[in-house]
Amino acid sequence: MTARTPTLSPARHVRVLRTQEGVLFIILLVIIVVLSLLSDRFLTANNLLNQTRLLTETALLALPMTLIIIGGGIDLSVGSTLAWSAVMLGFSWQLLGLPLPLAVLVCLLTGLLGGAVNGYLIAYVRVPPLIATLATLAIYRGFSFGISQARSARGFPEEFAFWGQGQIGPFPTQFVVLVVLIVAAHLLLSRTGFGRWVYAIGNNEVAARYSGIPVERVKFTLYALSGLMAGLAAFIFTSRVTTTRADAATGLELDVIAAVVLGGTSIFGGSGSVVGTMLGLAIITLLRNGLLLTGVKGDATFMVIGVVLIIAVLINDLVRKR
Amino acid sequence: MKRNPLNRSFVVLALSSLVIAACAAPPPAAQQPAAPAQPAAPAESQLPAGWKAGIPKNAPDRKGKKLVIRDVPKLIGIGYFAATTKGMEQAAAELGNIDFKTDAPTEAKIEKQIEFIDNFITQGVDVILFAANDPVAIAPVLKKALDQGILVIGYDADAQEDARQFFVNQATFEAIGAALIEDMVSQTGPDAEVAIVTSSLTAPNQNRWIEEMKKYAAAKYPNLKFVVTLPSEEDQQLAFKATQDIMKTYPNVKGVFGLSSVAFPGAADAVKQAGKCGQIAVVGLSTPNQMRPFVKEGCVKSVVLWNPIDLGYAAVYAARAVADGELKPGATTLKAGRLGELQVRGSEILLGPPFIFTKDNIDKFDF
Amino acid sequence: MSTPAAPTLPPLPRPRRWVVQQESVLVAAILALTLCVSLVNPDFLNTSNLLDIAVNTAYIAVAAAGMTMVIVSGNIDISVGSMLGVCATIAGELARNDVPVPLAFAAAVIAGGIMGAVNGALVAYARIPAIVVTLGMLSILRGGLILVTQGRWIESLPQAFFFSQRSTLGIPNPVWVMVIVALLVWFFMRYHRLGRAIYAVGGNAEAARLAGINPRQVHFFVFVVNGLLVGLAAVLYASKFTAIQSNAGQGFELAVISGTVVGGVSILGGTGTVLGAVLGSLLISQIGTAAVFLKVSPFWLQAVQGGLILLTVLVDVLRRRRMT
Repeated sequence: MTARTPTLSPARHVRVLRTQEGVLFIILLVIIVVLSLLSDRFLTANNLLNQTRLLTETALLALPMTLIIIGGGIDLSVGSTLAWSAVMLGFSWQLLGLPLPLAVLVCLLTGLLGGAVNGYLIAYVRVPPLIATLATLAIYRGFSFGISQARSARGFPEEFAFWGQGQIGPFPTQFVVLVVLIVAAHLLLSRTGFGRWVYAIGNNEVAARYSGIPVERVKFTLYALSGLMAGLAAFIFTSRVTTTRADAATGLELDVIAAVVLGGTSIFGGSGSVVGTMLGLAIITLLRNGLLLTGVKGDATFMVIGVVLIIAVLINDLVRKR
Repeated sequence: MKRNPLNRSFVVLALSSLVIAACAAPPPAAQQPAAPAQPAAPAESQLPAGWKAGIPKNAPDRKGKKLVIRDVPKLIGIGYFAATTKGMEQAAAELGNIDFKTDAPTEAKIEKQIEFIDNFITQGVDVILFAANDPVAIAPVLKKALDQGILVIGYDADAQEDARQFFVNQATFEAIGAALIEDMVSQTGPDAEVAIVTSSLTAPNQNRWIEEMKKYAAAKYPNLKFVVTLPSEEDQQLAFKATQDIMKTYPNVKGVFGLSSVAFPGAADAVKQAGKCGQIAVVGLSTPNQMRPFVKEGCVKSVVLWNPIDLGYAAVYAARAVADGELKPGATTLKAGRLGELQVRGSEILLGPPFIFTKDNIDKFDF
Repeated sequence: MSTPAAPTLPPLPRPRRWVVQQESVLVAAILALTLCVSLVNPDFLNTSNLLDIAVNTAYIAVAAAGMTMVIVSGNIDISVGSMLGVCATIAGELARNDVPVPLAFAAAVIAGGIMGAVNGALVAYARIPAIVVTLGMLSILRGGLILVTQGRWIESLPQAFFFSQRSTLGIPNPVWVMVIVALLVWFFMRYHRLGRAIYAVGGNAEAARLAGINPRQVHFFVFVVNGLLVGLAAVLYASKFTAIQSNAGQGFELAVISGTVVGGVSILGGTGTVLGAVLGSLLISQIGTAAVFLKVSPFWLQAVQGGLILLTVLVDVLRRRRMT
């Protein structure tokens, strides 16, 4: 651990800009400036707030994914867990006739269950995370299709739309929820013993075990949390689109992982931050939004994002090496 | 472990920017209804009774003015929607004074489609054309467009009626269902086992077609037996494999329906490579270009489809007519250029009966 | 960092006997599944059905052989699906425009090699993590492919193009290619100096460097070979159909990676064999067909597939645990 100086010297400013997050922040600023020059509809409170509606589900999944990857694992099943939870929401409300709040509880618990099963397989049965969650990716998706018989639930009452379409003050509801959770995840990772355990496990699992860290419990908790967040994302997603589909969020895991690795989290574990992930996600989202507003077509945007992903990580690497 | 001094400052920054944005947010954002779920209130009283389709709010007078039209199909990168785009471009060129562009996700995902439409609303376009990946999920964003005075017209795959103004219907579900069954029965006879290879099990259009096919068959050919429906997810290889498995698991199957532009050629290829052309009929919906080799070899007798170029063409004519105030609730016809007068039933514009491509006419079409 | 002197876990014994290898679990699983399904439906045991499964798996297995090398070296390649689409389109477009078929095939393989080289250079020399490079490449290639083809399928191909639809000595060509590639890669990785270096680099890059291996060269090499094999897989894929779907290969990466890791190739690098990867791919494909034969409801198909994959993996994990 480096000694921290209490004073803020100019040299430290430079150091700050050379951190992973500093570099990403500069890249984000450059992108924002360029895009706002190209389109006058880009840099408006309206547009930016609206974007937060579109990215919330991905962001909610990216928070636990950051912790999991820092801890040396991965969770590929998040998109399927989301779909399964959403289907359970629709199923228990429309077919079982549960009151909506209870159905939402079922949705959250389904996510938690999915995550807990992952956590159990990975932490206690010691199935490698990639394989375990690759299998549950198929299984949970299969549950969504099987339980719903590929039929969608619809006709949710108007007040249900509050969570995905309503607002608190000028902010989209889900954005407020997201900000609270970002702060919570950031504090959990950077200010608590649990967070330190996560880094320690990601750096060297064997050493972590010998220094008395309850490795299994930490891992189990991480995956369970990931599932719970998928349940929450499912709830917000359902409220936003007013229906539940068995094929919701297919392939979302790649978007989530892209945000996390662009945010500077090492795929090998041991380093990374919540702030970095959120910056990564902001870069991808605003790039997609801004390019579209300036009239660049979707297929070209797709290519640009691929290039930016590679270059951003490259720049980050170069700056920090110097 | 290294502590990052920046992290804290970012949290502070994020929170403070929240506060700033809260003060600076323009009133229009705050005025948006919390739940834009109710249909736009009819502004005029001359709406026909029972009119359920949406009406844009405070739409400016666009009569004769330049229109910015954006088309958001289910996905780009497949022949079918390349064809609808072609038709739209033709119409836009004929009409003139139209800025037209198609853009959509590369996979048929509703989440991504919503994002595209949302961005076009921000861009402030005049007209949004869509083919919905999901009729319900797309509704909130379309209603948002209507609330901002944007004209919203669907084609190919409809949304909830109150989320759009008009829908260009390529062919009714009933007509397609009947045409497919008749096509099949003419090759297999009325007492046969048949199977279905669909696109995704959640695809709304496909599910309605299957429903109508079964309804029609139950009434007219009660001995036609549907043994299984397998998904193929817009993947040729999956459709191929599904058809192989069907032929082996259900050896009595006499016919296979391929219900998407990818499932149909995949199924036809499996039958052809198993050497069962003529023994197992393959019937379905696809574009002539994708089916041409099979039709020419005789492995597939006919292809049921509407003309997607005409479909796109009609959609842009409908957009112009709505903007000019010529196509409004209660109208019964639409003048659509070379297509002549199209019938309007309620809020649906009818393209006409489905088209059957055969060996004799398939070379005349390039889409 | 000091190594803790506490009672460390003993190093895994390296059993050589056939019965305890990962591959044997897969073979057992495949045989068990075949037996169970054929009890319900004897047609499953039909030679033509088994060959169909092999043909449908061949292009996945060939790519899985490349993926094995990539993963053993401690990397991953998510761009293989997009690469497959690009290579298949190149082969088809060239053949349609009267380029001799062997040349068209070669061009597809070389194109794969070039894309692999770009991936490899970025990973090995620019030192960007493989997941970032290939995730980026996935986007770039997919976007570019749609930009160029606009979704038009490639048809009216010459008869000579349909390599995968033909057989040699009664065995379909793709199966030959799969078997030959698997054996070559297996032999190479086991006995060739460079092949063994892949294990060394993946197991412990630092130790490998001290042993005189240049890890960068190895990283670059595996991506190039992987690209060539994906190009070959694309040839098998494209020549299987009467017309080529130009946006082919979406989700292909998942199929290839699933086959490879179910085959026992450790995602942490350093262990696993190509035979395992090929068997893993075959098993997954067989599960899909078996579910149809057993008339599992299509709505539950995916859940059953995933469950059986998990079961195979669990058996393997428990087996290993008993050994320690």
